[in-house]
Formats: sequence, C-alpha cells, structure tokens
Amino acid sequence: MNLEKVIFGFFIVLALTLNFGYFIGDMDNPAHHHVYELYAAIIVNLIATVLKFGDRTQIGAVHLATSLVADLQLITAAVLFAAVSGTPSEATMINHVVSLSGGALLANVISVILLIAETITLRR
Amino acid sequence: MNNITFLILRRMRAPLIAVIASFGIAVAGLTFMPGLEVDGQVSRLTLFEAFYIISYTATTIGFGEIPQPFSTAQRLWMTLSIYMTVIPWFYAIGKIISLFQDSGLRQAVTTSRFAREVQNLHEPFYIICSYGETASLLVSALDRKQIRTVVIENQQDRINELELEDYQFDIPALCADAQMPDVLIKAGVRHPMCAGVAALTDHDHVNLAVAIGVKLMNPDLMVLARADNKETAANMASFGTDHIINPYTLFGDHLAMEVHALGTYLLHEWLTGVPGDSLPSPACPPIGRWIVCGYGRFGKSVVENLQREQITTTIVEADPELTGCEDCIIGSGAEARTLEEAGVRDAVGIVAGTDNDINNLSIVMTAREMNPELFVVIRKNRRYNEPLFEHFNADIRMQPSDIIAHECLAHMISPLLAQFLSMVRNQTNAWANQLISQLVGVVGENVPETWAITIDRYHAPAVYNFLSWGKSITLDTLLRNPGNRDSKLDLVPLLLLRDNRPILQPETDITLMSGDQILFCGQPSAKDALPLTLSKYKALSYIIDGTEVPEGFIWRWVSGKMEARKRKQDTL
Repeated sequence: MNLEKVIFGFFIVLALTLNFGYFIGDMDNPAHHHVYELYAAIIVNLIATVLKFGDRTQIGAVHLATSLVADLQLITAAVLFAAVSGTPSEATMINHVVSLSGGALLANVISVILLIAETITLRR
Repeated sequence: MNNITFLILRRMRAPLIAVIASFGIAVAGLTFMPGLEVDGQVSRLTLFEAFYIISYTATTIGFGEIPQPFSTAQRLWMTLSIYMTVIPWFYAIGKIISLFQDSGLRQAVTTSRFAREVQNLHEPFYIICSYGETASLLVSALDRKQIRTVVIENQQDRINELELEDYQFDIPALCADAQMPDVLIKAGVRHPMCAGVAALTDHDHVNLAVAIGVKLMNPDLMVLARADNKETAANMASFGTDHIINPYTLFGDHLAMEVHALGTYLLHEWLTGVPGDSLPSPACPPIGRWIVCGYGRFGKSVVENLQREQITTTIVEADPELTGCEDCIIGSGAEARTLEEAGVRDAVGIVAGTDNDINNLSIVMTAREMNPELFVVIRKNRRYNEPLFEHFNADIRMQPSDIIAHECLAHMISPLLAQFLSMVRNQTNAWANQLISQLVGVVGENVPETWAITIDRYHAPAVYNFLSWGKSITLDTLLRNPGNRDSKLDLVPLLLLRDNRPILQPETDITLMSGDQILFCGQPSAKDALPLTLSKYKALSYIIDGTEVPEGFIWRWVSGKMEARKRKQDTL
C-alpha cells in the first residue's frame, strides 16, 4: 500500500472526472457548464502535472506530455471564458470553451489509460 | 544534462504544489465572498478577477481593490489569503534559488559542460592529468605551439589559476580525480582526436593508475607518465607505458651530456624549448673533483653520471642511513666546517641537490665564499623561490618541472623529434655544434618551430598527386619559397623517415617518396608557407619549372586549345 501511488492515482483520476463533469451536457447551453467545475479541473490538472515531474521512464515522459496538453487546453478555455463572460457573445462563444475542455478530456483519458496499463503490468 | 533537468523538476514538486493549492483556495474563496451592493444587487468577483487580484497579492505587488472597493467579508478573506499565498510563494522561489546553488547540481552542470567541450574538439589534443608547476609549464608551451590540451586537476584553486591565465585557446578543465576511469573517458580518452595522455601529478600511484587506465581503455594512445621511484617506473614499463619520465635520472643524464658533449645538450634544450625563449648560455662543467650535497634520488643520479664521466665525487649527506650512503661526510653542507672537511677549497664544482631551496642556497653561498671559482649546480624546487635564484648567479640551475616539461614537449611536438634527439645523442659533439651554427644561421637565436610533415594524400595532396603521376620531386623543392622560387624558406630539414628507416640531415637532392615523414626546424613564417607548396598544385608547379598553371576550368580549356594550335604550327 504505497501512499505515493495513492496520491498520484487520486489526482489523475480526479482531474479526469472533473474535466468530464464540466464537458458533459449541451454544448451551447451555458447552464450545463458550471464555471467552478472548470476552475477545479484546472487546479487539479496543474497539481497532477507537477506530480508527474521528474519521472525518467518512457511512460513517465508520455504521462507528462498528456498532462501538459490538458493544461494547455484548459487554460486556453479559461482565458476565453474570462474574455467573453458578461459580454453578449457569451452564448455563442461558450461552445468554443466547451470544445477546448473536450480536447483536454481526451488527453486526460489517455493519461488514465496509461495509468491503468502501468498498474496492470506491475501486478503486485 | 537530462539528469540535471530531472533533478530540478523532482525537487520543485513540493513548492509548486504548495503554490497551486494556496492560490486555488484563495481564488475560489474570494469569489464566494459577497461584495458591496451595486444597484441593489450583491456583487461578486468573477473567477478571473479574483485570480488577477490574488496574483498581484501573492507576489507582493499590490495594486489596489478593483473594480470597486471591497466589502468587509472580501477584505477578511483577502487578509487570510495574503498570509496563505505569500509564504508558499517565497518558499517556492527560495527553493528554486537554492536548487541552482546546490553544489551537487553545479558539479553536474560543470562536468557535463566539460564533457561537451571535449566532445566538440576537432583538432588533435593532449590530456594533461595535473595542473601543478610542471603541467602548467607544459600547457603554456603547448598553447604557444598551438596544440590543444585538456586538463584534469584535483585541486580547485589550481583550476582557478588556469582560468585566469591568458591562453590562446579555450582549455577545457575539470576539477576531479584523474584516477577515475569515468573522468578519463569524459576528458576524451576514447575521442578519435586524442593524441596522448600525460600523467604528471606529484604522486606516483596516481600516475600509475592513470597509465593503466588509459592503456586498458585505449591501447594505441601515447602515454607519458612521471615516475619518481624506480619501482613505479618498472611497473609502468611492464604494461607498455610509452614514455616514463624520471626527472632525477633525466637531470643526471643532462649533466653528463653537458660535461662531455655540450653541443648536444644545447641542441636538445634549444629544440625542446618554449617558443620565444633564447638559446641557453653554454656553461661547460669542469673536470676534477666535485662535491655533491644531498644523496637523495637527485644526488644519486648526479653521482652516478659524474662518475661515469670519470669525475671524482665527495658526497655530503645529512642522513646517510636513510639514503643508503656509505662513505660520505655527514652534515648538511650548509656549515663551513662540513665543507672544509669535504675539501671545498680544492674542488672544482659543487652540486647543491637537497629538496629544500633555502638549504641549497645556503650551501652554495657558503661554498662560494670559501672558493669563489667553484662551478655551481643548484637544484630549484619551488617556482616561488625564483627571485632568490635569479639573484644568485649559479652556473647551472636544475628544476624538475622544467626538465619534465621539456621531455614531454619533445614527445608531443612530434614523435619524429624524439627520434631525432635520441639519434643526436649518438653523434659527436662537433656534429652537434655544426648543426647548431647552421640552424642559428637560418633561424636566429630564438627557439625555433619544430614540426613534421607526411607525404600522403591527406596532408600533402599536390606532392602526392605529382608523385603518383610518376614525376619526381626532390627535397629541395619543398625548401623553396612558393612566392619566389629563387629564394629559400627559413627552414632546415633535420630528419627523413622512410619505411621506418631514419636519415639524419637528409641531402637536399634526395627524391621524395610517398609515405615519407620529414622533420623540419625553422621560423614560424616558413611553417606557414610550407603547406602552400604541399597542397597547392599551382605553387608546386611554379617552383618546379617556373610556369604558372592557369586556375579555373575555362582558362585551362582556352590555354589547352592555344597550346594545341601552337604545337600544330611548330610541326608544320
């Protein structure tokens, strides 16, 4: 029972779930996408990225890469949201925010698949 | 370099997570706090505004309360978040700064930078395993001769000295133990351009370890090692160290050379000198009875060589048990009484060979007072005592580091030079004197450049091609000035090596063959001009028959046509 692996797995899965929670729902209905969930997804994704630092294996490198991709997309989504929120174009621009978070979702899915693969091959 | 990046990333995890977490909580909390009432509605900060405010709060910039003054609840939360975010922020910055100052990290950066510098060398270079007195002399001489070096030295302050010196080339230097094979590999033992390794540290066991390491990792590499003890020297010889340098036996040899073959000695010193120095002034040691003070390794070597030259010696030694001296006068030699006993008044020469500079100076001063005609040979141990020795006008000054450096230079400048010098020892003194006067006539009194050329496709393409077409070229062609075929360059051919057979002082009308190696001695201007003759076909054909061969494809075609027409006219 490795505490470090628990924390590592916790944050990666939490990042995926928060991201999915934000993404799901009608793309052009702002009511389906709560901004605090986006905010929480960003914070947890950043923490997950930092946790992936310093791993010298090939699989660690790909982990870090997917995390960075997700960070990039989520931060772009947040910036776009901050720019359009309160303006009349919010209703149309919300699509773009949600689709960016969808991209980040895919990156997080890959990260979780890698985590599962790593866990299965260890088998202890 | 990758190791270092990963190390930094690993150690930065905790501070970064602290910053992210504290920021996250502060920003979220600030958006929940109710603001002042605007148009009857409680205003709240958006996430973006909250992030902006916390950003300039945590970094202690502190603009002000935007877009309107805060309510009490917001201000309460701001107070909390100031303490909560500023501390992790400074912790993270402090951690990053201390990471860059970490000595292990800095060592890793320095080592990897050194390894990269060595890898990027694309000229032949020598690895010097020390930066003491000897090695620093050698490195500066090699630098003046435009030969690249790489230095490994155990003490950081010597490396600092190296960095402060004004050298022509960048010398990659590492502060590490040269015995470690890892360090030797980083310094380029396996590099294709490495021309040799010189192990010149003050400790025999380190030199031995370096020699063994290099011979195992790269058996074809030339290894020069300093060995003060005979056992170490024998050990090194047993696994094939190329050149073992024992400064004491070398000095004894040189002293003997000076006694019976002064010309040879002068030639040797001159050709292996540091460029820019002048000819050493000749001092002929007299035959007679000599007093040798100090019977350590140096004294033993001197006595052995002097006795071989039929010079009688009286030994003065302070500790005969330790040095194994039978039949010597006990005393340090610095007192007048001991010298009196040794018979200083009717001796012709005195050798002050202890390992203490002050003792040596004291011995010779006392001896000179008692017998002003004495020929004085004094051993210098430490460079920093140089001013004292300069004031005292000794006839011969021996410094171990000078001797080792000269010997190393002889091997490093060109292997042909070492061969030449060993052949010179077998010639007569008259021959050496004649060669010196010939050289001085051509080169002047300063230490000349010595270099070797090879007649092969890579180093002398024009000559090689000429020879492969069946034409013959004499050595005289190479001696001529490619700018003016009637004048000669300022150089003298010393040795011609053909099929491993050496020819001393080759005649100028000897025909060259492909694969020949020639050792030249001359002015730097000649060294720069010779490659023109060797590699430019135009220069070579100008020297041989005075015709100017046209360059460029078009003019060659035109002149070919003109010649064909002229030949047709002649036959008509």
